[in-house]
Amino acid sequence: MIAPGQLRYLRRRVVNAAILSVSLFTVAFALFFLAWILWTLISNGLGHITPNVFTQMTPPPGSKGGLLNAIAGSLYMVIMATLIGTPVGILAGTYLAEFGRTGWLAPTTRFINDILLSAPSIVIGLFVYEIMVHRFGHFSGWAGAFALGLIVLPVVVRTTENMLQLVPNTLREAAAALGAPQWKIVVMVSYRAARAGMLTGVLLAVARISGETAPLLFTALNNQFWSNDLNGPMASLAVIIFQFAMSPYEDWHHLAWAGALLITLFVLGLNILARSLFKKGGA
Amino acid sequence: MAETNKITVNTLNFYYGKFHALKNVSLNIPDNRVTAFIGPSGCGKSTLLRTFNRMYQLYPKQRAEGEILLDGQNILDAKQDLNLLRAKVGMVFQKPTPFPMSIYDNIAFGINLYKNLPKSELNDRVEWALHKAALWNEVKDKLGQSGTSLSGGQQQRLCIARGIAVKPEILLLDEPCSALDPISTARIEELIHELKNDYTIVIVTHNMQQAARVSDYTAYMYLGELIEVGDTDTMFTKPSRKETEDYITGKFG
Repeated sequence: MIAPGQLRYLRRRVVNAAILSVSLFTVAFALFFLAWILWTLISNGLGHITPNVFTQMTPPPGSKGGLLNAIAGSLYMVIMATLIGTPVGILAGTYLAEFGRTGWLAPTTRFINDILLSAPSIVIGLFVYEIMVHRFGHFSGWAGAFALGLIVLPVVVRTTENMLQLVPNTLREAAAALGAPQWKIVVMVSYRAARAGMLTGVLLAVARISGETAPLLFTALNNQFWSNDLNGPMASLAVIIFQFAMSPYEDWHHLAWAGALLITLFVLGLNILARSLFKKGGA
Repeated sequence: MAETNKITVNTLNFYYGKFHALKNVSLNIPDNRVTAFIGPSGCGKSTLLRTFNRMYQLYPKQRAEGEILLDGQNILDAKQDLNLLRAKVGMVFQKPTPFPMSIYDNIAFGINLYKNLPKSELNDRVEWALHKAALWNEVKDKLGQSGTSLSGGQQQRLCIARGIAVKPEILLLDEPCSALDPISTARIEELIHELKNDYTIVIVTHNMQQAARVSDYTAYMYLGELIEVGDTDTMFTKPSRKETEDYITGKFG
């Protein structure tokens, strides 16, 4: 004979077990595809990562070569984009979290930033094509960096604002109670308390633009040769992967796999770094 | 006892947006004494405390009307320089609020706002403040460590040291012991006893025994009004108002 209370308890345990299994299954489902992607990349790419990849330029069809100009171009443009997007993003995020408590400017900025955050990257590419490439008459690394910078900007604005909002108000009050002016409170107290989170935001933004292809197609285009001149067209890993993977040549396919693996490892590394930084700062 | 008044509050009214939080409050805070504000939650004691350094000014919807004279000067005057006011009126909060920097920098932060002291004088001042707050012996070997690595009671004494370091005339303590264990609380109370020789202290507390232990004067507030204020012994033995008696004898609140 089972008492009614026991029956209810049994039901609760069954429901608990069922929900737990469903959650575990969905996690396994997501991890399965992630592992599959990584496996495909490693099995196709690892064999083609040779010293040549880092020392030679992208080859014409049918001959041997590497990805040096594409790796360098990606680095140039990602670094410039970060240098363009980060300061503006941090200042805007600071305004939203620390200064824009009243009035219409902060809510409006937040709204527009959310739109920019979700804007398709190809639209940003077209926009920069129109205002830079079309106007100056040629593709350039600067246009590519600017397009990527526009993608960095809203990510940094959002994370900076969110991280600053996590700083307890009592900390600001404590600094204000000592007679600190607001800019000192922000720089010496809020930034220090939120710096791990803010840096994480920047790293995630860098990870995000590392693989962007669409905005570069319209702006930096491509370059088969070595170039460190941001005023001219510039190669990038993402665009080279796109071009080489779509081609009919076996050698190019191999280089595309190698490039895809390189980007993935770079982004993975950035994410792990961001995670460990955030953990250290958040403790 | 003839006292000189450090702060005189005249018909102070305070609003959180439309909410009328302080109603015609008038009282005197004597110099170099400890004055305690007691009363149930939401009675306005913290609100009153936060008008003395105009802390409420950080929040756009809060405003005060009336007069608060500090050494005869009305600090609610729009011309009052806020940072200078706060240099004179230090504050310690309910939860310890060490800045995310070293113990040394926590103290130096406030000093550097007003003075550009040479390194040796700055060191002396930091040591002096930590001595005053009875923390020096516990931290003298780890001044470079983060302030957040200290225990709760130590953090609170660090905050008191930080407040003292800028040499204020008044210290506002907003429930400084409510997040601390009894031993840390006892240390802070001892400290309050010592500090009143040099500072005018105003303390908000939920703990009536604490008010009785540390204060010379006690003000009882209820629903935004000041019900009664007097010297602490009289307030806790024969209060003149029925409401005060009910509160301190635990009939209500």
